[in-house]
Amino acid sequence: MQGLLRGGLAVAVVLMVVGLVVQVASGEVAAPGVPLRALVGTGVSPGTRLMGLGVLALGLTPGLRVVLLLVLWARERDWRFVGVAALVVMTLAVSLALGGG
Amino acid sequence: MELHLATALALLAVGFFAGWLGALVGLGGGIIIIPTLVLGFGVDLRVAVATSLVAVVATSTAAGSVFVGKGLAHLRLGMTLEVFTTLGGITGGLLALRVPVEALSVVFAALVSGTAVLMLRGKDARPEQGAPRAAAEPETTEPAGEEERGRLAGSYFDAHQGALVPYRAVRVGLGGAVSFAAGVLSGLLGVGGGFIKVPAMTLGMRVPFKVAAATSNFMIGVTAAASLFIYLSEGLVHPALATPVALGVAGGALLGTATSRRVSATLLRRLLALVLLAVAGQLTLKAFGVRLGR
Repeated sequence: MQGLLRGGLAVAVVLMVVGLVVQVASGEVAAPGVPLRALVGTGVSPGTRLMGLGVLALGLTPGLRVVLLLVLWARERDWRFVGVAALVVMTLAVSLALGGG
Repeated sequence: MELHLATALALLAVGFFAGWLGALVGLGGGIIIIPTLVLGFGVDLRVAVATSLVAVVATSTAAGSVFVGKGLAHLRLGMTLEVFTTLGGITGGLLALRVPVEALSVVFAALVSGTAVLMLRGKDARPEQGAPRAAAEPETTEPAGEEERGRLAGSYFDAHQGALVPYRAVRVGLGGAVSFAAGVLSGLLGVGGGFIKVPAMTLGMRVPFKVAAATSNFMIGVTAAASLFIYLSEGLVHPALATPVALGVAGGALLGTATSRRVSATLLRRLLALVLLAVAGQLTLKAFGVRLGR
Protein backbone atom coordinates (compact mmCIF):
# COMPACT_ATOMS: atom_id res chain seq x y z
CA MET A 1 0.00 0.00 0.00
CA GLN A 2 2.88 2.31 0.86
CA GLY A 3 4.30 1.78 -2.64
CA LEU A 4 1.16 2.92 -4.43
CA LEU A 5 0.81 5.89 -2.10
CA ARG A 6 4.38 6.90 -2.89
CA GLY A 7 3.71 6.35 -6.60
CA GLY A 8 0.68 8.66 -6.54
CA LEU A 9 2.62 11.25 -4.58
CA ALA A 10 5.61 10.99 -6.96
CA VAL A 11 3.41 11.53 -10.04
CA ALA A 12 1.82 14.59 -8.39
CA VAL A 13 5.13 16.08 -7.25
CA VAL A 14 6.82 15.54 -10.65
CA LEU A 15 3.88 17.20 -12.48
CA MET A 16 3.89 20.12 -10.03
CA VAL A 17 7.67 20.67 -10.11
CA VAL A 18 7.94 20.34 -13.91
CA GLY A 19 4.93 22.64 -14.32
CA LEU A 20 6.47 25.22 -12.00
CA VAL A 21 9.81 25.11 -13.86
CA VAL A 22 8.04 25.39 -17.25
CA GLN A 23 5.96 28.31 -15.95
CA VAL A 24 8.91 30.25 -14.57
CA ALA A 25 11.20 29.42 -17.54
CA SER A 26 8.60 30.52 -20.08
CA GLY A 27 8.31 33.90 -18.41
CA GLU A 28 4.57 33.37 -17.92
CA VAL A 29 3.65 35.36 -14.84
CA ALA A 30 -0.14 34.92 -14.79
CA ALA A 31 -1.18 32.63 -11.91
CA PRO A 32 -4.90 32.21 -12.54
CA GLY A 33 -7.43 30.07 -10.72
CA VAL A 34 -8.17 27.02 -12.85
CA PRO A 35 -11.46 25.13 -12.58
CA LEU A 36 -11.17 21.36 -12.99
CA ARG A 37 -12.89 21.36 -16.40
CA ALA A 38 -10.47 24.00 -17.73
CA LEU A 39 -7.50 21.68 -17.19
CA VAL A 40 -8.47 19.76 -20.33
CA GLY A 41 -9.64 22.80 -22.28
CA THR A 42 -7.74 25.49 -24.13
CA GLY A 43 -6.60 28.82 -22.77
CA VAL A 44 -4.42 27.46 -19.99
CA SER A 45 -0.63 27.83 -20.23
CA PRO A 46 1.37 24.55 -20.35
CA GLY A 47 3.00 25.22 -16.97
CA THR A 48 -0.30 25.98 -15.24
CA ARG A 49 -1.91 22.92 -16.84
CA LEU A 50 0.87 20.63 -15.58
CA MET A 51 0.67 22.10 -12.08
CA GLY A 52 -3.12 21.82 -12.15
CA LEU A 53 -2.90 18.17 -13.17
CA GLY A 54 -0.38 17.68 -10.35
CA VAL A 55 -2.83 19.16 -7.84
CA LEU A 56 -5.55 16.86 -9.23
CA ALA A 57 -3.26 13.80 -8.96
CA LEU A 58 -2.44 14.82 -5.40
CA GLY A 59 -6.14 15.18 -4.56
CA LEU A 60 -6.86 11.71 -5.92
CA THR A 61 -4.11 10.00 -3.90
CA PRO A 62 -6.02 9.83 -0.58
CA GLY A 63 -8.94 8.28 -2.48
CA LEU A 64 -6.54 5.67 -3.84
CA ARG A 65 -5.63 4.79 -0.28
CA VAL A 66 -9.31 4.29 0.58
CA VAL A 67 -9.78 2.02 -2.45
CA LEU A 68 -6.73 -0.02 -1.44
CA LEU A 69 -8.13 -0.55 2.06
CA LEU A 70 -11.44 -1.58 0.52
CA VAL A 71 -9.62 -4.25 -1.51
CA LEU A 72 -7.61 -5.34 1.53
CA TRP A 73 -10.74 -5.79 3.66
CA ALA A 74 -12.53 -7.56 0.82
CA ARG A 75 -9.68 -10.09 0.79
CA GLU A 76 -10.15 -10.51 4.55
CA ARG A 77 -13.90 -10.91 3.93
CA ASP A 78 -14.55 -8.09 6.37
CA TRP A 79 -17.70 -7.06 4.47
CA ARG A 80 -18.90 -4.57 7.07
CA PHE A 81 -15.86 -2.37 6.53
CA VAL A 82 -15.84 -2.99 2.78
CA GLY A 83 -19.24 -1.28 2.92
CA VAL A 84 -17.89 1.59 5.04
CA ALA A 85 -14.96 2.14 2.64
CA ALA A 86 -17.37 2.00 -0.32
CA LEU A 87 -19.42 4.78 1.30
CA VAL A 88 -16.29 6.96 1.57
CA VAL A 89 -15.34 6.23 -2.06
CA MET A 90 -18.86 7.23 -3.13
CA THR A 91 -18.69 10.47 -1.12
CA LEU A 92 -15.34 11.34 -2.71
CA ALA A 93 -16.81 10.56 -6.14
CA VAL A 94 -19.73 12.91 -5.45
CA SER A 95 -17.26 15.60 -4.39
CA LEU A 96 -15.21 15.08 -7.56
CA ALA A 97 -18.40 15.21 -9.66
CA LEU A 98 -19.40 18.48 -7.95
CA GLY A 99 -15.86 19.76 -8.59
CA GLY A 100 -16.07 18.96 -12.27
CA GLY A 101 -19.48 20.61 -12.64
CA MET B 1 -1.22 37.81 -8.14
CA GLU B 2 1.65 37.27 -10.59
CA LEU B 3 4.20 34.52 -10.28
CA HIS B 4 7.77 35.60 -10.91
CA LEU B 5 10.78 33.47 -9.96
CA ALA B 6 11.26 35.57 -6.82
CA THR B 7 7.59 35.12 -5.83
CA ALA B 8 7.78 31.35 -6.39
CA LEU B 9 10.90 31.11 -4.22
CA ALA B 10 9.31 33.32 -1.54
CA LEU B 11 6.16 31.13 -1.48
CA LEU B 12 8.28 27.98 -1.30
CA ALA B 13 10.30 29.43 1.58
CA VAL B 14 7.25 30.73 3.45
CA GLY B 15 5.50 27.36 2.99
CA PHE B 16 8.57 25.50 4.22
CA PHE B 17 8.85 27.73 7.29
CA ALA B 18 5.12 27.38 8.07
CA GLY B 19 5.26 23.59 7.74
CA TRP B 20 8.43 23.33 9.82
CA LEU B 21 7.23 25.66 12.56
CA GLY B 22 3.80 24.01 12.60
CA ALA B 23 5.32 20.57 13.06
CA LEU B 24 7.60 21.83 15.85
CA VAL B 25 4.79 23.36 17.87
CA GLY B 26 2.22 20.72 16.95
CA LEU B 27 0.04 22.72 14.57
CA GLY B 28 -0.86 22.14 10.97
CA GLY B 29 0.78 24.53 8.54
CA GLY B 30 -2.64 25.88 7.51
CA ILE B 31 -3.15 28.12 10.49
CA ILE B 32 0.16 29.84 9.72
CA ILE B 33 0.14 29.81 5.93
CA ILE B 34 -3.41 31.13 5.42
CA PRO B 35 -2.93 34.44 7.29
CA THR B 36 0.54 34.80 5.70
CA LEU B 37 -0.96 34.51 2.21
CA VAL B 38 -3.84 36.86 3.05
CA LEU B 39 -1.95 39.54 4.96
CA GLY B 40 1.51 39.17 3.39
CA PHE B 41 0.75 38.36 -0.23
CA GLY B 42 -2.70 39.95 -0.61
CA VAL B 43 -4.32 36.63 -1.58
CA ASP B 44 -8.12 36.27 -1.31
CA LEU B 45 -9.06 34.28 1.81
CA ARG B 46 -10.89 31.55 -0.15
CA VAL B 47 -7.93 31.13 -2.50
CA ALA B 48 -5.65 30.91 0.57
CA VAL B 49 -7.94 28.23 2.07
CA ALA B 50 -7.88 26.25 -1.20
CA THR B 51 -4.08 26.56 -1.27
CA SER B 52 -3.89 25.35 2.31
CA LEU B 53 -6.08 22.34 1.48
CA VAL B 54 -3.62 21.34 -1.28
CA ALA B 55 -0.83 21.65 1.31
CA VAL B 56 -2.82 19.58 3.84
CA VAL B 57 -3.29 16.75 1.31
CA ALA B 58 0.41 16.94 0.32
CA THR B 59 1.61 16.83 3.93
CA SER B 60 -0.75 14.05 4.95
CA THR B 61 0.15 11.92 1.93
CA ALA B 62 3.87 12.55 2.30
CA ALA B 63 3.79 11.72 6.02
CA GLY B 64 1.75 8.60 5.29
CA SER B 65 4.33 7.40 2.79
CA VAL B 66 7.43 8.36 4.78
CA PHE B 67 6.53 7.47 8.35
CA VAL B 68 5.61 3.92 7.52
CA GLY B 69 2.56 3.38 9.72
CA LYS B 70 3.58 1.53 12.83
CA GLY B 71 0.12 0.09 13.03
CA LEU B 72 -0.92 2.71 15.56
CA ALA B 73 -3.75 4.15 13.47
CA HIS B 74 -6.99 2.16 13.68
CA LEU B 75 -7.82 2.15 9.98
CA ARG B 76 -11.34 0.75 10.44
CA LEU B 77 -12.15 3.43 13.00
CA GLY B 78 -10.59 6.08 10.75
CA MET B 79 -12.62 4.88 7.75
CA THR B 80 -15.85 4.84 9.79
CA LEU B 81 -15.31 8.44 10.94
CA GLU B 82 -14.24 9.42 7.41
CA VAL B 83 -17.79 8.77 6.21
CA PHE B 84 -18.71 11.75 8.38
CA THR B 85 -15.63 13.96 7.83
CA THR B 86 -15.89 13.72 4.03
CA LEU B 87 -19.58 14.68 4.15
CA GLY B 88 -18.58 17.53 6.49
CA GLY B 89 -15.73 18.50 4.15
CA ILE B 90 -18.11 18.83 1.19
CA THR B 91 -20.59 20.77 3.34
CA GLY B 92 -17.84 23.11 4.57
CA GLY B 93 -16.57 23.67 1.03
CA LEU B 94 -20.06 24.46 -0.29
CA LEU B 95 -20.66 26.74 2.71
CA ALA B 96 -17.38 28.62 2.12
CA LEU B 97 -18.51 29.47 -1.41
CA ARG B 98 -21.72 31.05 -0.10
CA VAL B 99 -20.63 32.81 3.11
CA PRO B 100 -19.39 36.43 2.68
CA VAL B 101 -15.60 36.52 2.83
CA GLU B 102 -15.75 39.01 5.73
CA ALA B 103 -17.69 36.51 7.84
CA LEU B 104 -15.23 33.80 6.87
CA SER B 105 -12.38 36.07 7.99
CA VAL B 106 -13.99 36.62 11.40
CA VAL B 107 -14.54 32.86 11.88
CA PHE B 108 -10.96 32.17 10.86
CA ALA B 109 -9.71 34.90 13.22
CA ALA B 110 -11.70 33.26 16.04
CA LEU B 111 -10.07 29.91 15.26
CA VAL B 112 -6.61 31.51 15.24
CA SER B 113 -7.32 33.27 18.57
CA GLY B 114 -8.60 30.09 20.16
CA THR B 115 -5.51 28.23 19.01
CA ALA B 116 -3.26 30.97 20.39
CA VAL B 117 -5.00 30.95 23.79
CA LEU B 118 -4.68 27.16 24.03
CA MET B 119 -0.99 27.45 23.17
CA LEU B 120 -0.44 30.16 25.79
CA ARG B 121 -2.16 28.02 28.40
CA GLY B 122 0.50 25.43 27.74
CA LYS B 123 -1.65 22.73 26.22
CA ASP B 124 0.63 20.28 24.57
CA ALA B 125 1.05 19.99 20.84
CA ARG B 126 -2.02 18.91 18.98
CA PRO B 127 -1.56 16.44 16.20
CA GLU B 128 -2.35 17.93 12.81
CA GLN B 129 -1.86 17.46 9.13
CA GLY B 130 -0.48 14.01 8.83
CA ALA B 131 2.71 14.45 10.76
CA PRO B 132 2.06 13.30 14.31
CA ARG B 133 4.77 13.13 16.89
CA ALA B 134 3.61 9.60 17.60
CA ALA B 135 4.41 8.64 14.03
CA ALA B 136 7.85 10.20 14.26
CA GLU B 137 8.96 8.10 17.18
CA PRO B 138 11.90 5.83 16.58
CA GLU B 139 11.06 2.48 15.11
CA THR B 140 10.89 -0.35 17.58
CA THR B 141 10.78 -4.03 16.93
CA GLU B 142 7.56 -4.37 18.92
CA PRO B 143 4.27 -4.35 17.03
CA ALA B 144 2.75 -0.90 17.56
CA GLY B 145 -0.78 -2.15 17.55
CA GLU B 146 -3.38 -4.43 16.08
CA GLU B 147 -6.97 -3.98 15.07
CA GLU B 148 -9.66 -6.61 15.18
CA ARG B 149 -11.41 -7.71 12.03
CA GLY B 150 -15.02 -6.55 11.78
CA ARG B 151 -14.91 -4.45 14.97
CA LEU B 152 -13.80 -1.05 16.23
CA ALA B 153 -11.45 -2.65 18.73
CA GLY B 154 -7.79 -3.44 18.92
CA SER B 155 -4.67 -3.14 21.03
CA TYR B 156 -1.58 -0.96 21.08
CA PHE B 157 1.89 -1.38 22.49
CA ASP B 158 2.34 0.68 25.64
CA ALA B 159 6.01 1.42 26.32
CA HIS B 160 5.45 1.96 30.08
CA GLN B 161 3.64 -1.31 30.59
CA GLY B 162 5.80 -3.08 27.99
CA ALA B 163 2.77 -4.92 26.67
CA LEU B 164 -0.11 -4.72 24.23
CA VAL B 165 -3.06 -2.93 25.86
CA PRO B 166 -6.53 -3.68 24.47
CA TYR B 167 -9.14 -0.99 23.79
CA ARG B 168 -12.55 -0.70 22.18
CA ALA B 169 -14.12 2.42 20.68
CA VAL B 170 -17.48 3.35 22.20
CA ARG B 171 -20.12 5.99 21.32
CA VAL B 172 -19.50 5.85 17.56
CA GLY B 173 -22.50 8.16 16.97
CA LEU B 174 -20.89 10.90 19.04
CA GLY B 175 -17.56 10.39 17.25
CA GLY B 176 -19.37 10.61 13.92
CA ALA B 177 -21.13 13.85 14.84
CA VAL B 178 -17.91 15.49 16.01
CA SER B 179 -16.09 14.20 12.93
CA PHE B 180 -18.75 15.81 10.73
CA ALA B 181 -18.13 19.14 12.51
CA ALA B 182 -14.35 18.70 12.07
CA GLY B 183 -14.95 18.07 8.37
CA VAL B 184 -17.05 21.23 8.03
CA LEU B 185 -14.30 23.25 9.70
CA SER B 186 -11.67 21.70 7.45
CA GLY B 187 -13.69 22.49 4.32
CA LEU B 188 -14.57 25.98 5.50
CA LEU B 189 -11.18 27.10 6.79
CA GLY B 190 -8.62 24.78 5.20
CA VAL B 191 -7.31 23.30 8.45
CA GLY B 192 -6.86 19.66 9.41
CA GLY B 193 -9.27 19.62 12.35
CA GLY B 194 -7.22 17.12 14.35
CA PHE B 195 -7.65 19.25 17.46
CA ILE B 196 -11.37 18.39 17.47
CA LYS B 197 -11.19 14.76 16.39
CA VAL B 198 -8.47 13.69 18.82
CA PRO B 199 -10.32 14.80 22.01
CA ALA B 200 -13.55 13.33 20.58
CA MET B 201 -11.82 9.99 20.16
CA THR B 202 -9.93 10.03 23.47
CA LEU B 203 -12.57 11.56 25.76
CA GLY B 204 -15.71 10.59 23.87
CA MET B 205 -14.86 7.23 22.36
CA ARG B 206 -12.25 6.04 24.91
CA VAL B 207 -9.56 5.49 22.29
CA PRO B 208 -5.95 5.79 23.60
CA PHE B 209 -4.32 9.14 22.72
CA LYS B 210 -1.56 7.73 20.50
CA VAL B 211 -4.06 5.68 18.53
CA ALA B 212 -6.41 8.67 18.22
CA ALA B 213 -3.60 10.96 17.01
CA ALA B 214 -2.41 8.48 14.38
CA THR B 215 -6.00 7.72 13.29
CA SER B 216 -6.81 11.43 12.99
CA ASN B 217 -3.77 11.95 10.79
CA PHE B 218 -4.75 9.06 8.58
CA MET B 219 -8.14 10.76 8.07
CA ILE B 220 -6.96 14.31 7.36
CA GLY B 221 -5.82 13.81 3.75
CA VAL B 222 -9.09 12.16 2.70
CA THR B 223 -11.18 14.90 4.36
CA ALA B 224 -9.14 17.70 2.77
CA ALA B 225 -9.35 16.01 -0.64
CA ALA B 226 -13.17 15.95 -0.40
CA SER B 227 -13.36 19.71 0.13
CA LEU B 228 -10.48 20.44 -2.29
CA PHE B 229 -12.61 19.12 -5.18
CA ILE B 230 -15.36 21.64 -4.27
CA TYR B 231 -12.85 24.50 -4.37
CA LEU B 232 -11.58 23.19 -7.73
CA SER B 233 -15.07 23.57 -9.19
CA GLU B 234 -15.03 27.31 -8.63
CA GLY B 235 -11.53 27.92 -9.91
CA LEU B 236 -10.34 28.86 -6.42
CA VAL B 237 -7.31 26.59 -6.72
CA HIS B 238 -4.51 28.60 -8.32
CA PRO B 239 -2.01 25.92 -9.35
CA ALA B 240 0.89 28.36 -9.67
CA LEU B 241 0.26 29.53 -6.10
CA ALA B 242 -0.62 26.15 -4.61
CA THR B 243 2.39 24.31 -6.07
CA PRO B 244 5.26 26.17 -4.35
CA VAL B 245 3.27 26.54 -1.11
CA ALA B 246 2.25 22.85 -0.94
CA LEU B 247 5.75 21.61 -1.77
CA GLY B 248 7.20 23.95 0.85
CA VAL B 249 4.70 23.10 3.61
CA ALA B 250 5.00 19.34 3.06
CA GLY B 251 8.82 19.50 3.02
CA GLY B 252 8.93 21.73 6.10
CA ALA B 253 6.44 19.58 8.02
CA LEU B 254 8.41 16.41 7.32
CA LEU B 255 11.66 18.03 8.48
CA GLY B 256 9.95 19.56 11.52
CA THR B 257 8.41 16.23 12.52
CA ALA B 258 11.71 14.43 12.12
CA THR B 259 13.53 16.97 14.31
CA SER B 260 10.75 17.94 16.74
CA ARG B 261 12.04 15.70 19.51
CA ARG B 262 15.33 17.61 19.58
CA VAL B 263 13.80 21.06 19.94
CA SER B 264 12.29 22.60 23.06
CA ALA B 265 9.10 24.07 21.74
CA THR B 266 7.74 25.87 24.81
CA LEU B 267 9.20 29.32 24.11
CA LEU B 268 8.55 28.91 20.40
CA ARG B 269 4.91 28.04 21.13
CA ARG B 270 4.42 31.11 23.30
CA LEU B 271 6.04 33.43 20.75
CA LEU B 272 3.95 31.97 17.97
CA ALA B 273 0.80 32.32 20.10
CA LEU B 274 1.45 36.05 20.51
CA VAL B 275 2.04 36.44 16.76
CA LEU B 276 -1.18 34.51 16.06
CA LEU B 277 -3.15 36.81 18.39
CA ALA B 278 -1.84 39.84 16.49
CA VAL B 279 -2.68 38.11 13.21
CA ALA B 280 -6.22 37.34 14.40
CA GLY B 281 -6.66 41.01 15.34
CA GLN B 282 -5.46 42.20 11.95
CA LEU B 283 -7.66 39.68 10.09
CA THR B 284 -10.69 40.92 12.05
CA LEU B 285 -9.85 44.57 11.36
CA LYS B 286 -9.39 43.75 7.67
CA ALA B 287 -12.79 42.04 7.63
CA PHE B 288 -14.35 45.27 8.89
CA GLY B 289 -12.46 47.35 6.36
CA VAL B 290 -9.88 48.83 8.74
CA ARG B 291 -6.34 48.81 7.35
CA LEU B 292 -3.22 49.06 9.48
CA GLY B 293 0.23 49.66 8.03
CA ARG B 294 0.51 48.80 4.35
